Amino acid sequence: MTSLSVNSISSAARSVTGAITKAVPAVTVNSRRANKTIAWIGKKISSPQNRLILGVSALLSQPFIDLNNRKVDEDTRKISAARTVAKIIAGTLTGVAIRAGCIKAIDAFSKLPAQLAKNVKNPKLKTLFTPEAALTGALKDLTHYKKALGTIISLVVMTFTNFLIDAPLTKFLTNKFVDRIHEKDKAKAVKLQTNKEVSHE
Amino acid sequence: MSKSSLFNGFKTLVAKHYGSNTGKMLIHTGVIGWILSSAAQVAAIVINDKIPKEQKMYLIPQEIADAAVNIVSFYAITQTFSSVAKRLVTSGKLLPKSVKDWMSVKGLLGKIGKSTSDIYKAGLSASAKKRLDVFKEGIDVIGTTAGSILSCNIVTPIVRNEIAANRQKTSIAKMNSGTNVVSNVNNVKPKREFIARPTLQTFTNSSSLKI
Repeated sequence: MTSLSVNSISSAARSVTGAITKAVPAVTVNSRRANKTIAWIGKKISSPQNRLILGVSALLSQPFIDLNNRKVDEDTRKISAARTVAKIIAGTLTGVAIRAGCIKAIDAFSKLPAQLAKNVKNPKLKTLFTPEAALTGALKDLTHYKKALGTIISLVVMTFTNFLIDAPLTKFLTNKFVDRIHEKDKAKAVKLQTNKEVSHE
Repeated sequence: MSKSSLFNGFKTLVAKHYGSNTGKMLIHTGVIGWILSSAAQVAAIVINDKIPKEQKMYLIPQEIADAAVNIVSFYAITQTFSSVAKRLVTSGKLLPKSVKDWMSVKGLLGKIGKSTSDIYKAGLSASAKKRLDVFKEGIDVIGTTAGSILSCNIVTPIVRNEIAANRQKTSIAKMNSGTNVVSNVNNVKPKREFIARPTLQTFTNSSSLKI
């Protein structure tokens, strides 16, 4: 994206934001449970959970969008829905696993000096990803930092796994689903033929 | 600049920008994810020996156009949702009961509730600010996630299908009239297989893997 399009999107987003904020009435979240849930979401939901939510909601929406695309023939609709499901399953499995793995790995090497036991082995390695602000005491909570860095590292990892895992897995699953669709179509055709023959008799 | 200072600079940059902002991180890494996955799709076409050069000239811009739709739709919608969520909290239109009650007791309610108000300039105590920060973070993540779902799972597939269907129609029309560059190229026998199912090829190439 060029800086021009980023700026125009940002300014459009600002205008929309202003208009919506103006139109929305004031709301107070009274329920203690709702407030606790909102706080929990802010603290616990990060990129792996976000990817999982996106994957699950994708399974609930995208295949139906493909199946209802009246601009293409029925066979194309079925194949594209099969590929979409395969792509979502492969992408979600690898996306969630790699994000979670990278965040865990970063967590192991982003310790605060205070968290290290006196006789810990390789203290330098344990603080390899710890930012200077945390070492000087300016940044006390590393939770969001570790999740952000883990996610950035996972994007680099996924550049490779996209070819090595996602693409072959998508192809494998698509073929399985397409075979199943063809088998079902064949069985349907045979049944239809049998019914026709019976009615002729 | 040495490698070590470059690495330290990178860590500081991540800590500064995303150290307390999950929503922003989700949007930025989401956009980078879309760019990388689109680049992978383009690279897959570029390095595929089975696709003739002339077809690559058609497929690569097609893939780039799809990537642009995906990225712009994701950024525009998710960024808007995130901004609205944050602005509702900072303007004081969406607040947790504890903060609202505290402001009511202190007589500060008049300073908030307009679209231009800034609750952080209204004179919050440290504990009220902390509670508001936690609430704002949660609302931001909810807004960002809702925006991602809308853009990735509803808007993008509909737009993509529309574009792919139009392309499919154009390709078939061109092929039937015999003026299609792609189909002309495929008159050579070994390349027959690729155009045997032009509709499917066009369609399946139009979606990218989301990393």
